[in-house]
Amino acid sequence: MLALRDVSYAYEGARAVAGISASFDPARLIALTGPNGSGKSTLLKLAARVLVPHTGEIAFDGTRLRDWPAKEYAKHVAYLPQDPDPTFSMRAIDVVVSGRAPFLGRFAWERDSDYDEADRALAVCDAAHLGGRYLDEMSGGERKRVFLARVLAARPRLILLDEPLASLDVSHVQQFSALLRDIVDRTGVTVVYATHDLNWAAAYSDRMLVMQRGALALDATPAEVMRPDAIRELFGFDAEAVQAGGRAWLVPRV
Amino acid sequence: MPSASRQPRLIGAVALLTLLLVIALILASSVGATNVSWRAAMSGDATARAILVGIRLPRALLAALVGATLAVAGVTFQTLLRNPLADPFILGVSGGAACGASIATAAGLARLPGVVPVIAFAGACGATGAVFLLARRREYTDPTRLLLSGLVLNAFFSAVILISFGLSRQSDLAAALRWMMGTLFGAQWSDVALLAVLLSISLAILATIGNDLRMLAFGEDDAKSRGVHVERVKLIGFITASIVTGAAVSVSGIIGFVGLLVPHLMRLIWRRDFRFLLPLCALGGGVLVVLADLLSRVVVTSSELPIGAFTAVLGVPFFLSLLRRNR
Repeated sequence: MLALRDVSYAYEGARAVAGISASFDPARLIALTGPNGSGKSTLLKLAARVLVPHTGEIAFDGTRLRDWPAKEYAKHVAYLPQDPDPTFSMRAIDVVVSGRAPFLGRFAWERDSDYDEADRALAVCDAAHLGGRYLDEMSGGERKRVFLARVLAARPRLILLDEPLASLDVSHVQQFSALLRDIVDRTGVTVVYATHDLNWAAAYSDRMLVMQRGALALDATPAEVMRPDAIRELFGFDAEAVQAGGRAWLVPRV
Repeated sequence: MPSASRQPRLIGAVALLTLLLVIALILASSVGATNVSWRAAMSGDATARAILVGIRLPRALLAALVGATLAVAGVTFQTLLRNPLADPFILGVSGGAACGASIATAAGLARLPGVVPVIAFAGACGATGAVFLLARRREYTDPTRLLLSGLVLNAFFSAVILISFGLSRQSDLAAALRWMMGTLFGAQWSDVALLAVLLSISLAILATIGNDLRMLAFGEDDAKSRGVHVERVKLIGFITASIVTGAAVSVSGIIGFVGLLVPHLMRLIWRRDFRFLLPLCALGGGVLVVLADLLSRVVVTSSELPIGAFTAVLGVPFFLSLLRRNR
């Protein structure tokens, strides 16, 4: 579906990602992880067409990104920045229905069918009851659901989420991770999400990409990533693996 | 999901504000220092006709157009800079106009008809260009730098204005000061026509980019990922709003706080996105300035108080409460 070949990008001379090659298949939940500043956000922005690679190629369905009309690409690939915040408070339903923008003509307003899609997306995110509420009246967890619904409203085939679990409490992290898993399994969409939560990522994702200083250091199954030696090498973090519930959990060595 | 939460009902809001605007216009053209009636004007009274059609009606209409223009520019700047405190004046557009006007006054050009508006317009355009160039880094226009550049240029313009006033002749100062405080005195039908055309064109342009502009509310990266050509939309929006502001300022002088106040009022009442607010701001800005101008004429009958003072008297408390809310 999406294929990156030797992709590099630099901000004003400072290398952000370098020589990334990877491809994403349908119906996968893929965790993108790595230390702060390792290039996760930049990689997501490149895939979302927010940034244009300086070298290398990204192709979607075999067509290079620069050959995709902008609005057409947005129908297939949806991106959620780290802390989306509309300047002025809006109702959740209006936030979600704005996810239908790539389908609107220049002068067109959202039609009933767009609101139906928005309602559906809210329901998928267990947020149907939030439709009429304003964003500034919501908890952090509720807002995250609304913005995930906004991404789903376009029925994309690839979803790119930049740290959707940041600043959620542990119970919401689990709920949200399970929700992502459920959406992938039910709809066949592929979700790539940046996260620092290795344990939850390993518990729910199909595949983990670990970035280090702009390069893709490891692209493997959760079981292969969750080894103390790999974690020490990639994150500089001393941990031991504990077996529970049939999988390995990393526990810090204090 | 209740159907009430669906399509925003623009028609009702537009009808309400249009009604208010018509009432304000009728009021403004009927009330004044001289007691004349539309009935007398219709039945051939030349004095009544001269006052109503020659003076009050163009003045009321120009007030509506200036108010509409400033409010439309305000909601555009707030949307594209993602800043609730942005307005055409903070961005230096009016400062540039005032700077041009005061230099023209100091040079003794104020007594030539039509010179001050043209130079003021040139000043507004110059300031807009300068602010935009200062805020541009490579291919990207940084909203924060845009606001900062506007603020800094405004300080510079203020200094130039003070120096120009010091160099101006005493006899020219009164007119210059009146212009600085905003006035619709001596409104001409030609001003009305010019501003009506410019406002219509800019409304059409802004409506064309409305679907893209409102997506900027979620951030530029988000908008880009939705297929919006962000830099193009920002450039078109910024230039359109600036030019039409420059035209309004050149005919009315500086009328503050309309561009800030009206979009926030409309947003407080209707809480919708840019596409919805655009026509409402045009109408609401018209209502506010027509009423402020009416007050400036009738509060005391011996002279005219500055209209900019009336919009500011309403606007400053609002601005301060807004600052508190956003803390």
